[in-house]
Amino acid sequence: MSAVPQLLVSTVLLGGIYALIAVGLTLIFGIMRVVNFAHGEFLMLGMYLAFWAFTLWHIDPYFILVVAVPLFFAVGLGVYALVMRGVIHASHNVQIFTTVGLSTALQNLALVFWTGDFRFVRPWHSGVVLRIGGGAFNLSQVVAFAVAVLFTLSLFAFMKWTHAGRVMRATAQDGEAATLVGINTDRVYRLAFAIGIACVGVAGVLISPLYSVYPTAGLQFVLLAYVVVVLGGLGDMVGALLGSLIVAAVEVIGSYLFGSAWKEVIYFVLFIAVLVLRPAGLFGQRGAEALGV
Amino acid sequence: MRGHALALVVFGAAALTPLVLHDGFFLDSLILILMWGAVSGAWNVAGGYAGQVSLGHSAFFGIGAYSAALMATRWNASPWLGMLVGAVVATGAGLIIGYLANRLKGPYFALATIAFSQVLLIVASRWRAFTAGSEGVPVPFRPGLWTLGFASKVSWVYLVLGLALAVYAVQVYLERSRVGYQLAGVREDEDAAQALGIPSRRLKVVAVAASAALTSGCGTLWAQYVGFVDPFYVFSVDLSIRFALNTIIGGIGTAMGPFVGSILITSLETFLRATFSDVRGGLVGIYLIIYGCLLILVVRFIPRGLVGWFGERFRAMGLHARA
Repeated sequence: MSAVPQLLVSTVLLGGIYALIAVGLTLIFGIMRVVNFAHGEFLMLGMYLAFWAFTLWHIDPYFILVVAVPLFFAVGLGVYALVMRGVIHASHNVQIFTTVGLSTALQNLALVFWTGDFRFVRPWHSGVVLRIGGGAFNLSQVVAFAVAVLFTLSLFAFMKWTHAGRVMRATAQDGEAATLVGINTDRVYRLAFAIGIACVGVAGVLISPLYSVYPTAGLQFVLLAYVVVVLGGLGDMVGALLGSLIVAAVEVIGSYLFGSAWKEVIYFVLFIAVLVLRPAGLFGQRGAEALGV
Repeated sequence: MRGHALALVVFGAAALTPLVLHDGFFLDSLILILMWGAVSGAWNVAGGYAGQVSLGHSAFFGIGAYSAALMATRWNASPWLGMLVGAVVATGAGLIIGYLANRLKGPYFALATIAFSQVLLIVASRWRAFTAGSEGVPVPFRPGLWTLGFASKVSWVYLVLGLALAVYAVQVYLERSRVGYQLAGVREDEDAAQALGIPSRRLKVVAVAASAALTSGCGTLWAQYVGFVDPFYVFSVDLSIRFALNTIIGGIGTAMGPFVGSILITSLETFLRATFSDVRGGLVGIYLIIYGCLLILVVRFIPRGLVGWFGERFRAMGLHARA
């Protein structure tokens, strides 16, 4: 039983980071009704940004955040204008393959420019060990968690209390009605996409001291984020938070009980089970999946 | 022969090529073009004709590759037997995933299939006692038709051509048969199709299972040709995307689309691989950047793919000529 506090702390730390990745994905889906299959690639780009800044100029990943937020926001705006805008009202297949194409292109852009080598970012704080709840965690992990939570909470506050946030929520609820009351939905979609990309880019920078950096690094995280988001109900932001904790718990407890090799099987099986039994998510409305929304 | 003109040209050219060209590189490209065209055609059965767009078809490909490779290394069994076992297992897997994910639409179905292929990837790469784990399985080379080992690439060309023709025939059947029309109805408007008494759920499950069996057969042949099964390749999401990519660029829901897509994509890939192989490994990725962009452009501007688009133009020209 002595392992319980340690497992709990691990779960919360991991869950906080997953939440930041997933919340962007679910925001984009909730408002644009598009599943962004290229989400992981923006995470990968965030990791590379941190890697190059650290390697070339010895800038700590946490200072890079100041650049990463506006940079990824701008990237989001650009990708929206070039790629997403034209398919926002298209069929599911068109949307799926547009983002799949984007994912393929970005992954291989990274491969061509930066090769497939595994790279590492090791700033001083990744070597500092903290003892929390009987377990040892490095400082980078704790800071990544704190910053991720800060960003996630700011996004919640933004969605809840600002005018832009209310407009976005209105569009998510009913796009046509939003247009009728004079909301420029195109701008809402653009903003949602840019915010979603900024979140995942920031997450990439934050996790760079914790994981190795390579062109397909985004895949394992984004698969996880899909699990999180489907658990919580696609488009449901609070659900995404709970989903992150569930997935983190499954991962932490699963690797404690069965060894880290098999933990992924557990959450993919959980994922398929949720898709089959409650595709709208544990907390979502029934029937959302059949409408294809 | 109406409607088969393109097929006649493509498959005819493939059949004649080994008679004139003996260059190993070209024959290898031809084999890969036909092979990837055939798998993409198998994907098309579910993704194009039944509208069940899967991004986890590498699961079935891997099942076929592993069945034959494991049976050959463990029990000295013929790859044909392995292919049969693989097809049966893949059909079972297709029935299960097709049934479970039956209600799911669009992105939900795609996500469920991705998860399914990832589960198989993890099992194949971690279950060392059975699958040899992440090291992969080398396929023993034993010459002869029964053991599927050919030193000459010419034999491979005709074998894979046979596979391609079989997949083509299945697709043509789905275009012209009663079942095919029913599937098209389910794809376009499931509620309306159901109202007309079409068993839509059963049809979708059967289409996924048939597609899985064909994909698995292709996987077996591919493993025998390449001689090695790597779990991280045969179960990868990239491979699943490749099947979809060929089909969509060529023309989703058309019998020749997957082959036309494969001609474009596979030949550019082999060309770039040959050009950049000695420069820097990573540069090979250029072809995937091109395809990524091509995919975005094709689904946006010619969603019916090249075959669909040109087909429309030709029909329009035909009408003008008659008028």
